[in-house]
Amino acid sequence: MRNPEIEARCQRFLDALAHIRKLGLRVIQADERRVTLVLPVQEQLACGKTKTYLLGGALTTLIDTASAVSTLCVLPEFEIAPTLDLRIDHMKSPAHSQPLYIQAECYRTTRSVMFTRATVYQTSVDEPVAFGIGTFMRLGTEVVDPKMRAVVEGEIERYEDDYPAKDQPPQDKREANA
Amino acid sequence: MISITDMVAKAHASGDYNGLIELIPYAQVIGVNCERFGEEMVFRLPRNPDNLGNPTLPAIHGGVIAAFMELSAAFQVLLQTTTPELPKIIDFSVDYMRAGLDRDTFAMCQLERRGRRVTNCSVVAWQEKRTEPIATARAHFLVKPNES
Repeated sequence: MRNPEIEARCQRFLDALAHIRKLGLRVIQADERRVTLVLPVQEQLACGKTKTYLLGGALTTLIDTASAVSTLCVLPEFEIAPTLDLRIDHMKSPAHSQPLYIQAECYRTTRSVMFTRATVYQTSVDEPVAFGIGTFMRLGTEVVDPKMRAVVEGEIERYEDDYPAKDQPPQDKREANA
Repeated sequence: MISITDMVAKAHASGDYNGLIELIPYAQVIGVNCERFGEEMVFRLPRNPDNLGNPTLPAIHGGVIAAFMELSAAFQVLLQTTTPELPKIIDFSVDYMRAGLDRDTFAMCQLERRGRRVTNCSVVAWQEKRTEPIATARAHFLVKPNES
């Protein structure tokens, strides 16, 4: 079951990350356990000179981000949760003519650590482009980041004055940066 | 079209590796560059506001650090082998040790094993001191042997 509240929260988190705004990564679906993101087709990642390495490196960023976002689906309130490690298997080269989907799930949460898995696909989740597993450290209430928390929980509109307003559609930002 | 083997030879001769970096679009998006010191290659990710994740610290997005390390490893394999194609990533694993702050990040790679088809590469990334890495990683690449 989709959960619009969690979806909005995940999107606010993505919008707070400068690099993710540049890539235009968006939440398409989220519930209490998993999130699905989409990376639209974009020229800045397309490579004309070689066919073998369409998105080298970019998949790593996508999986890292999606895994972090999946922890937001599970946590009752925003916590800073730095990545401990991440391992990715690449099954096939993605086609740059199609959007990429990343489905990430936080499948186990303990007091100190959260465990995630993520699948990158294009046509079907059963035909993965890449698969990644990650662990995140919970810092709990010992370390607080009030500003980031307020942004993710939707209590303040924007992170800083020089940040674009969150209601600005990602499409425009992507074009501006392309 | 100029072959990859020729491009590598040209880059080694001139010391300008930008042409090779242009082969991988995401390396250009995040701004990877590299410099040769004798036999050693040092990869650099210059400070860039577009690479930030957490705006409070502010810190470089963890995924960008991992991608920088993966791309550094790919370039290292490309530069150290005579492969006619770009190395293809099989798997990649990264351990994060410290937050990557909003400043230049460096990486050095070591080919641990060069098999006939698969090459294993380890990567260390640091900012202030090489002895205080912000992350370590390792990767396997599928490398096409040079037929000639």
